[in-house]
Amino acid sequence: MNIKNFKLNTKIIAFGLASVLLHSCGDPKPAEGETGDDLADTDTVKAVALNVGGELFSVPSPMQTALLIQKSGVAYDKAILNAGNKNGQYASDYSKSLNLGIYGADLGYVSMYNQTQDALQYLGAVKQLADKLGVSAAFDQNTMKRINDNISNKDSMLMLVGVAYRASDAYLKTNKRTEISSLILTGGWIESMHFSITAYNKKSTDEIKYRIAEQKQALGSIVKLIRSHNLPDAAELVTQLEELAKIYDGITTKYNFVEPTTDEAKKTTYINSTTEISISKEQIDQIAAKITAIRDKIINAKS
Amino acid sequence: MKKNLYKGLLILSIVGLSNTAKAQCDSIASLCAKHIIAQFISDGQSYRSLLLNSEEMAEFHTTFFGETTYRLAACSGKTDGNLIFNIYDQDRHLLFTNKNYANAPYWDFKVKNTLECTIEAQLDANKNAGSGCAVILIGFKQK
Repeated sequence: MNIKNFKLNTKIIAFGLASVLLHSCGDPKPAEGETGDDLADTDTVKAVALNVGGELFSVPSPMQTALLIQKSGVAYDKAILNAGNKNGQYASDYSKSLNLGIYGADLGYVSMYNQTQDALQYLGAVKQLADKLGVSAAFDQNTMKRINDNISNKDSMLMLVGVAYRASDAYLKTNKRTEISSLILTGGWIESMHFSITAYNKKSTDEIKYRIAEQKQALGSIVKLIRSHNLPDAAELVTQLEELAKIYDGITTKYNFVEPTTDEAKKTTYINSTTEISISKEQIDQIAAKITAIRDKIINAKS
Repeated sequence: MKKNLYKGLLILSIVGLSNTAKAQCDSIASLCAKHIIAQFISDGQSYRSLLLNSEEMAEFHTTFFGETTYRLAACSGKTDGNLIFNIYDQDRHLLFTNKNYANAPYWDFKVKNTLECTIEAQLDANKNAGSGCAVILIGFKQK
């Protein structure tokens, strides 16, 4: 593209976009049958869209692991959690974000076991870190009141905490603070791994063992996510996660596809495929040591 | 002088469009959240992507754990049924597409054994003339 063309394009694009904006401001109601979310289909819009879009990542909810552990009959143990009164020591956004993820997982864990007093303490820790990070919109007065009102109702608590974390994720993505969102997810995942490992040491069930082994994809997403932000603070974390990924590379799985079945009336599909997974005691020990090292560094941060 | 005016107008317009798109995604996500009913716990994430046309695809990889029921809600625009979503296993077997069920805005999946899968979403060409924000939400409950 030469300079002349660029000048011409700038004019056209500027007027075009201004027209689109003015049009959208003046006519907010879509015609019947339209979705109402159409944007002008121009190259400039494409640039904006690509900037917002890009690869998506998924990290399993730590509450899902807490749920499995509780169902496995492992007793509640507050000692495995990050102490709820440490939030004041986390000074950097990096440290606050990771520990907000950890406290969120801890809040899910105590709620799962109906520990009302502890839930209040972790709710306070979550609220304080969220405020400091500027994501208090997700934990606003109304949400906090609903959580407080339902603090002794396990099912409502879990639902509300999940919704609050989703709101925080959405808020951070909307405001282009995806690095904070990624660190919160990472903190939550590390804490959920810590739950699994400590539970497995107390009660070595196959369910917990396989849950530890089944984290290869989640870990892959987390490594990509954290690496994509190029955060200087996260360099050591990335190295540690990559070392963890190497341990996971040694875990073998055998997937057997079985045709799913669907009950249309119930809007339900049954996924019938099976997976055989093989993980050794030595591999679990290696994973446990690595997770403990990563977690200790995060929860004991003083900056 | 004129050059600066055009540049200024361009920057303002891009910022404006970006904000419009963000607001659009937020309102779609709010509507979509209604499909993740109370018995499901949100996975705490809001998967969203701006799609330029019905050819473009948003994609992410996830793990469905065994003995769990998942609910996926998929939305674009202000009404249900504008977004097609497909789920594939790790060998690219199609496990489900809502296209076969009138672009149902949500669907439940009872998962027997843990599996890694890929979720893809695209705008339905018959219902979307241009671009739009695609939102996917996931909830889960123990079987």
